[in-house]
Amino acid sequence: MEPEAKVKIKKEKFEILKKADDLFVCSRCGTCLAYCPIYKQTLDESLTPRGKMSLLEAISKGKLEYTDRISEKFYTCTSCNLCKEECPSGVKIDEMIETAKSDLIDVNKYPEVIDILKDRIKKAYNITFDSNIGRLDWVKALPEGDPRKYVKEKADVVYFVGCVSSFSPRSFGIPRSIVQELDSAKVDYTLLGEDEWCCGFPLLNSGIKDAASDMAKHNIEAVKSKKAKLLVLSCPSCYHTWKHEYPKYYDGEINFEILHISEYLLRLVKEKKIRLKPLSGKITYHDPCDLGRNSGVYEQPRDVIKSIPGIEYVDLEANRELSNCCGGGGNLESVNQALASKIALSKADEIIKTGADIVVTSCQQCNRTIDAAMKKKKKESNVKVKVIDLPELVLQSINSGKENS
Amino acid sequence: MDKKYIPELEKIVGPENVITSFEERLTYSYDSTRLEYLPDVAVKVRDAQQISSIIKLANDYNIPVTPRGAATGLSGGCLAVKGGISLVMVEMNKVLDINPIDLLITVEAGIVTEKVSKAVEHLKLFYPPDPGSMKSSTIGGNIAENAGGLRGLKYGVTKDYINSIEVVLPTGEIVNMGSNTVKAVTGYNLVDLMCGSEGTLGIITKATLGLLPVPADKVSILAFFKDMTDAAKTVRDIVAEGVITATLEIVDKVTINAIEDFLKIGLDRTVGAMLLIEVDGQKGAVEIEADIVMKVCSANNALLVRRAKNDKERDELWAARRAALSSLSRIKPSTILEDATVQRSKMVELINAVNEIAKKYNMLIGTFGHAGDGNLHPTILTDLRIPEEAEKTEKVIEEIFNATIALGGTLSGEHGIGITKARYLKLELSKPVYDLMKKIKNSFDPDNILNPGKMECNWDF
Repeated sequence: MEPEAKVKIKKEKFEILKKADDLFVCSRCGTCLAYCPIYKQTLDESLTPRGKMSLLEAISKGKLEYTDRISEKFYTCTSCNLCKEECPSGVKIDEMIETAKSDLIDVNKYPEVIDILKDRIKKAYNITFDSNIGRLDWVKALPEGDPRKYVKEKADVVYFVGCVSSFSPRSFGIPRSIVQELDSAKVDYTLLGEDEWCCGFPLLNSGIKDAASDMAKHNIEAVKSKKAKLLVLSCPSCYHTWKHEYPKYYDGEINFEILHISEYLLRLVKEKKIRLKPLSGKITYHDPCDLGRNSGVYEQPRDVIKSIPGIEYVDLEANRELSNCCGGGGNLESVNQALASKIALSKADEIIKTGADIVVTSCQQCNRTIDAAMKKKKKESNVKVKVIDLPELVLQSINSGKENS
Repeated sequence: MDKKYIPELEKIVGPENVITSFEERLTYSYDSTRLEYLPDVAVKVRDAQQISSIIKLANDYNIPVTPRGAATGLSGGCLAVKGGISLVMVEMNKVLDINPIDLLITVEAGIVTEKVSKAVEHLKLFYPPDPGSMKSSTIGGNIAENAGGLRGLKYGVTKDYINSIEVVLPTGEIVNMGSNTVKAVTGYNLVDLMCGSEGTLGIITKATLGLLPVPADKVSILAFFKDMTDAAKTVRDIVAEGVITATLEIVDKVTINAIEDFLKIGLDRTVGAMLLIEVDGQKGAVEIEADIVMKVCSANNALLVRRAKNDKERDELWAARRAALSSLSRIKPSTILEDATVQRSKMVELINAVNEIAKKYNMLIGTFGHAGDGNLHPTILTDLRIPEEAEKTEKVIEEIFNATIALGGTLSGEHGIGITKARYLKLELSKPVYDLMKKIKNSFDPDNILNPGKMECNWDF
């Protein structure tokens, strides 16, 4: 598959020129150095949020052009947003970095991997090389393994699976757990099947703005056509995009509620539609950046975990707003895998420090990144912490005792 | 500029540690003053030997060398004002030795300040100096600037915890100064001379720092007053009652309003001052001291006194003080944080003077700071992009310094002189003292290659 030919767009003015006031607010105090996962691993000032702001200021003043070297800096970021959370001057760092990426796309200076991604999404509406027909392949291993049974004409609830959980076998446990939970709670739900398109997050995060409106329109209308009152998502990045980005790109009304699976599971537990049975072990929880800091969902996943009888819950030292990124955020993995993996190992150390047997997360990407790091840790030092996703834990709890009874 | 020395630098530290691209050098051109001076090259160093070789090279080619830690400084100490080499110290960040018997820790100079305390947490020890930037700043930078913090009244400042240091002299020798004994009077006290020398006399590469046992107990108390005078009397009376508090922070009305605008935590906007007090020590003693503090607050007409019962409440009380600078900085694009310092007994006079100056120039100034040691942070809110505002800001700063000196105070309590305060040196120093400083500098650094342009002023101007 050949990546789409790069089209050079001449732009008189960079978007960043309009942000001079926002850029000026950065006082270069260096608070972000203490929080940036990239700086903590590299000690490279040119990769810090403060450094990035200084580069953008130089560009906005015409002292500097966007160069390949600068492009590298801006795509070396997990978009975890911890810097913005802690910035004493309130610099809109995320917005500045997004603007820079959008300019970099315009001047044709961006990692090649983005072209490949763009091409895949444009041709197959998902981030893999597979056809979108394969969206429901993960269903096949279920007891009622006929994908057609999971796609209805109409339903109260639509579950938007997301590209990774749909196509990556190691994440299949998440959607498989969720549909079993929805079944056990007797929820009237449907999947979108091949009508589910990539939410557009990978493009938006790379600075490609114009692509998002097509995705938004198609996906919103697909949910609307099911007459659904509620949309549930398990991928925090999809959730963030639906909740915070789509309204910017869609003119019509979004007439259904949007919940992350952790919020919906808590609701089902509270309504006693799901019965949680005892499990044992010490559990900690990792806040995914797109669910926690970037969407404000902190307590619901914790409340679900704490509702399980018999477990002991312990928070990570840096939690909620201050949670450290697992390294899997942004597109860092595709531009600098070694760095992403270093960040993940440091996250693994944090988790090990709690003494927990299980770390729960609410994101297939965090799950994969942390799991890989934990496997390395196990090889090195024989510490073992099990990594599972919230819906998987909940399913274990629902089924607890079944094998023995 | 001819950069023949670049290949030689690459030989010393490896090409990957020599930063020459314009883009990347730009990110080594600033610090928290927000001023920018572009170094000709930034060099990441790993040990004293490399630094020594670089210094010798710099002397041969007559290139300025400016050491740089995390660049969180507020007086321009790490800015390469004459170009040359920016010597990046952050990779020298190891803990080398922990000695719990003698309460000492030995670290490389580029270690982050907070990590020093973290390294001895498990031994129930801590490193007391706590500058505002401690999560990012480096020990080397702290020593070079003699950084302070919130706990100055009881625990002192950086210089009180430096036992010995390894230094690369501006002529290239690697030397040790000081002693790791509690007492030591052998020779001149060069450690104290280096501490606060702002990187002009040598490059600190290692330090053995003093530690203290973590206090068994602590209590935080928050009190509001109708004006700064009552708050200041409270500060005076607490000390007079024999209580030396760990922290004694004061926040003025402008700042209280800014915090309320930002956090919306229900602070009373009509109050004139807020004190945040923390006592620490042995369990019973802390209770007694906390009671005394509460009584003194009430006796000085405190409008409200709250005592934190647990860690959660303590965090709540501290939330307002912690947000002081962030809240002020959101009002205007530029935030100038000064650190004029007077004796505790002169604090109210300084606050009044600052308020008068603010009124005279119609400038918004929020004041908060370390009341226990008279170290205030008048924070000027302005927009330095507007030339008239910038000019007015200069005048305000100068008047604050004049007022501070008139009250027997000092230009800088903890941020240093660097370039931002250098022109005011003669307000405080006599000519013979300034000349003596220059002679000391010259005897250390005859070629003037190390951090030139700092703590220097044109005396006759």
